Amino acid sequence: MKNKPTTSRRDFIVKSLTAISAVYFIPDIITKAESAKPLAQEVTSDTKWAMSIDVDKCAKGCTACVDACVEENGLYGFDRPETDSQWIRKLTIKNIKDDKIKVVPMLCQHCENPPCCDVCPTGASFRRVDGIVMVNQHTCIGCRYCMMACPFKARSFVHENLTEQVTNAPRGKGCVESCNFCANRIDHGISTTACEEACMKEGHNAISFGDLSDTKSRVNSALKKKDNRRLRSDLSLKQRVTYSGI
Amino acid sequence: MHQLAIRLLLSILILVTPNVFSHDGINHSLIGKSKADSQEQCVEPTEIMQKEHFVFLYHQRDKTVIKGVRTKNHSFANCIDCHVSYDEKGKAIPINSEGQFCQTCHVQTAVNIDCFSCHASVPRGRKSVAKITLENEHNFHITKLTNEIINHVGDYSGEK
Ligand code: HEC
Ligand code: HEC
Ligand code: HEC
Repeated sequence: MKNKPTTSRRDFIVKSLTAISAVYFIPDIITKAESAKPLAQEVTSDTKWAMSIDVDKCAKGCTACVDACVEENGLYGFDRPETDSQWIRKLTIKNIKDDKIKVVPMLCQHCENPPCCDVCPTGASFRRVDGIVMVNQHTCIGCRYCMMACPFKARSFVHENLTEQVTNAPRGKGCVESCNFCANRIDHGISTTACEEACMKEGHNAISFGDLSDTKSRVNSALKKKDNRRLRSDLSLKQRVTYSGI
Repeated sequence: MHQLAIRLLLSILILVTPNVFSHDGINHSLIGKSKADSQEQCVEPTEIMQKEHFVFLYHQRDKTVIKGVRTKNHSFANCIDCHVSYDEKGKAIPINSEGQFCQTCHVQTAVNIDCFSCHASVPRGRKSVAKITLENEHNFHITKLTNEIINHVGDYSGEK
């Protein structure tokens, strides 16, 4: 059987668009002054990291977010698009109702009810209390159940020995990996992800990241400006990544 | 019975051998120069580090990954930053390669670690903290010192 991941992904997104999604509901707002967490402090659920993506602003042919992610996390592959890791990728989708074509950045949706964590046999897939869904590679056994459980195909598996990892993003053969909202950056007080930063630098401002508990955060102003929706909201996964313009 | 006693003695001898290799107090001499060479002390007293460095690493690992604690003291990235050696050209030598810091003792004590299949064995990429506060002024000083060492590494080349 020939493997054609792009078409199936497209199919899936188109299907997900036809399923009527609920309008994103802004959760109770807890006011908190924006200040970086001290390095010694544990993360708490008072912080709620989230991302809003405005598809109307996402430019066709632009790969700034993807390139920035590759650079930030040292995701250099082997020129094998079928298996090389992608923490964020651009999809082209067509609405079957009006044939309109749009490009959408797809990444880990950081669900509040993450199916990847439900199926993980070792607890390596987990949701950090501040809402970041990630893989603890120290306990990941590489079974890839999470990859099968994820409706967004957001996770990748490292199939080969790696040598050029960057210090801030260790990764290696035999483990699953995915977007972690640049946890290392955030923990060090840089309140933007590599992809958002790149998108802002390009002047597109399609990606807005931030803390839902902070009324002044970029993600909250993006949510106020436009109705956001979750992909496949029929699954009730309560993703923290939401989209407007689709 | 006599034989048994000898065997027991022999096995005890073999079992305690690792302690012989944890060269208490003696400075390690490795190829190249590291930041640690210009330092008096590790992040904990040397004797404790020799025996329990992996305990600190394992604790830090879970604290960082699960709870987001990013203190520098027991951070793995920080160990590598301070202990990695630089050759005459100022190029970092992988810390787990033959004759290097995280390898020599382990060979002698038959320890195998897989950490470096994922973790960079040389400092590589973005420096995560650049802000200078009182707390990391010390580290800043170390970085400056190392840069000097790396830049003037020719001065050391006569030393063997
Ligand atoms: C700021 C620099 C610095 C950092 C960071 C650092 N060390 Fe050290 N370490 C040293 C110095 C200097 C010595 C030698 C001390 C001495 O000679 O008494 C040392 C000694 C050691 C020793 C004993 C070596 C021997 O030959 O006896 C071990 C093991 C060790 N360090 C492991 C670690 C680990 C693991 C980390 C990370 C958690 C780490 N070090 C972080 C500077 C550092
Ligand atoms: C399968 C890949 C993998 C292996 C093998 C691995 N790690 Fe990690 N490690 C990671 C990832 C991913 C992180 C998270 C990095 C981050 O968020 O900064 C991490 C983070 C850490 C941290 C916290 C970050 C820091 O620099 O202090 C420590 C400590 C650590 N690992 C220790 C170890 C030790 C010790 C070993 C070997 C026994 C090891 N790791 C083996 C992938 C790995
Ligand atoms: C002074 C010699 C020495 C140095 C230097 C040293 N180690 Fe060790 N290491 C040991 C010994 C001895 C053990 C085994 C201790 C035991 O099992 O009780 C060990 C065990 C470990 C373990 C646990 C292995 C296991 O199977 O659980 C890890 C992880 C580790 N070392 C990491 C490091 C790293 C990383 C470095 C470099 C920063 C390093 N070590 C440098 C002597 C050393």
